[in-house]
Amino acid sequence: MTLFLQIALDGILNGMLYALVALGLTLIWGVMDVINFAHGEFLMIAMYVSYWLGFLMNIDPLVSWVASGVFVFLLAFATYKLVVSHLIGKPALSALLATFGLSMFLKNLCLNRFSPNFKLLSVTALSGKTISVGSLILSLPQFVIAIFSLIVIFIIYRFITSTRMGWAIQATSMDKEAAELMGIDTEKIYGLVFGLGGVCVGIAGGLLPTYMPVHPEVGSLFGLIAFICVAMGGFGSIAGSFFASLLIGLVEAFAGFYIAPIFKYVAVFALYLVVVMLKPKGLFGW
Amino acid sequence: MKRQWSKKVLALVVVLLFVGLAGDVAFSQEKVIKIGTLFPLTGPVALAGQRCKAAVETAVEVINNSYPDIKVPLAAQEGILGGYKIVLVHADHQGKPDIGKTEAERLFDQEGVYAIIGSYNSAVTKPASLVAERRKKLFMCGCSSSAELTKRGMKYFFRMAPTDETESQEFVTFVKWLNETKGANLKTFGVIYENTEFGKHAAEEAKKAIEAAGFQYIADVAFNPGATNLNSEVQMLKGKNPDVVFGACLGADYILWVRTMKQLAWLPKVCLNYCSGYQDPIIAQQLGPDGDYFMGTTGYSPELAELMPAVAPVEEIYKTKIDPPVPFDSDSIQEAVATFVLAQAIEKAGTLDPDKVAETLYANEWESPLSLGGKVAFAPGGQNIKAMSVVTQLKGGEYRRVFPLELANSDPVFPIPSWDKR
Repeated sequence: MTLFLQIALDGILNGMLYALVALGLTLIWGVMDVINFAHGEFLMIAMYVSYWLGFLMNIDPLVSWVASGVFVFLLAFATYKLVVSHLIGKPALSALLATFGLSMFLKNLCLNRFSPNFKLLSVTALSGKTISVGSLILSLPQFVIAIFSLIVIFIIYRFITSTRMGWAIQATSMDKEAAELMGIDTEKIYGLVFGLGGVCVGIAGGLLPTYMPVHPEVGSLFGLIAFICVAMGGFGSIAGSFFASLLIGLVEAFAGFYIAPIFKYVAVFALYLVVVMLKPKGLFGW
Repeated sequence: MKRQWSKKVLALVVVLLFVGLAGDVAFSQEKVIKIGTLFPLTGPVALAGQRCKAAVETAVEVINNSYPDIKVPLAAQEGILGGYKIVLVHADHQGKPDIGKTEAERLFDQEGVYAIIGSYNSAVTKPASLVAERRKKLFMCGCSSSAELTKRGMKYFFRMAPTDETESQEFVTFVKWLNETKGANLKTFGVIYENTEFGKHAAEEAKKAIEAAGFQYIADVAFNPGATNLNSEVQMLKGKNPDVVFGACLGADYILWVRTMKQLAWLPKVCLNYCSGYQDPIIAQQLGPDGDYFMGTTGYSPELAELMPAVAPVEEIYKTKIDPPVPFDSDSIQEAVATFVLAQAIEKAGTLDPDKVAETLYANEWESPLSLGGKVAFAPGGQNIKAMSVVTQLKGGEYRRVFPLELANSDPVFPIPSWDKR
């Protein structure tokens, strides 16, 4: 039983990380109908920001996540202004291909600037630390990321549902023209949403160097899993992507242990296929 | 008007053809041998690939120029075959077999290289070397360790490093020695490996060697390289709790594996590793004390330099070609050995005919001061039967030699101290 609970705990902690990464993607899709293919690379950039602050200035990721979040907010905002804003209203494929191009650009830029070498912060405040709860062991870095994930998701959720700006975002996502007629600056809303998407993935990336090495390819699989979380939860649904992320974390952990570790991503993608076949709009889609 | 355009286009084509031919003539007058390198220069194991490329560049610099103070064959003269210089054409396979195959085809068919040196990942070496074999061209492999590669009966394929078969037997011999002389009482074994050509063959050879020695093989854990986490993998090892774990994890995956074992507060009594994650001095440095007490085989590390005095001056050149400047590691030095041995064989054969060079490679024993055994000789299939490695253990960030006894400079520490007792 302890082992079962331990595996469930591992799965939930990983699921929380996926949820934080997926949150930004679901926000952008929900409001703008744009799939940001560079999302995984935003995570990678955030990890580099955190790594370099730790390496050059000895700032712990527990602090540097703020800088990573801000940096990726600015990067995402610039991406919107310079790339995506020109493609709103054009065929959906245009924005998708443009962000795919951006992902290639960012990956190769980091390869060129930082080399393909993987970089690891040897000592951080959280590295290798654990908390024992009875016979269960919680990895502190993963636990802290999970707590951050819950807090950020709660704040974003409250922001969307309980503030005037959040209502404006909701209105824009429902009907852009009607929102403009009501005096909402939809251009500003789009820029803000893209930036907020960046903040979420920026915070996740800022904290990841507490246990994960950084290299230009690190964001690729995270980006793909985030996409699966969003599609499985229902494009645009914050709650949907959160529960889908937890489900993916659990399926990955249980399949990895009870079937075979090599099978864990097979199980995740098989689950995704089943869900989209039975509910094409995702678990919480409308 | 249309006719004038046609004339202009025709003139342009003639000029381009002339320039192209002139270029070819100039190139042939320069007495150049083009050799391709095929390594993972990007992707998850790019760090190792960049080092392998730098090692080949180092060997070529020594071969092309006169370095009378370097005690390595061909160092004292300039070039080979009476003045031929080697020119390298680099290709990146990103760790992907399909790209490796396509790049090998491009190197031979478009770049016109004479031979290829590569490819680090066994999974890439396998298809890329088949490309060479079909064209009857030489493929020199430094460090890909899958034993399968030299069991294919190929004529133009040569590998310098020990295989995972010999390393598995060495690991088991070491564990037996621990049991017999140190009362270690190690009985159960597990293997964690990436699900690639390299990892799968390492696991197969490990299983064979473990069972042949009468030990119990109780945990077989494969994982996808580049995974977002290795929790299930370590939980599975922890659940089975083998006394000894053999690891076949490269690059970033090795770091994540060690870190995950620490997070889940588990360690085997003895941990022995194949290939690069453990052998990589940068990774050892980045892991810091967490990397200590793990063991593995190595064909070279700075701590072995006293056994191989010729390496030091070559290593100084190598350090100028890699950023940050680091010493050779066990893998990269094998790529330099492959380059030197190929050049020696061409020189001795006195021709660039690949068939004659291949025959010469098989027929001779080659001086190789950059190899731990000091010699290179090939068995049918292309395996270097003189390849040697020692079992080392990381202590305080240094690779200490622990086995075999005649090469050891330190006693092994076992069981590995638990994470909370370091």
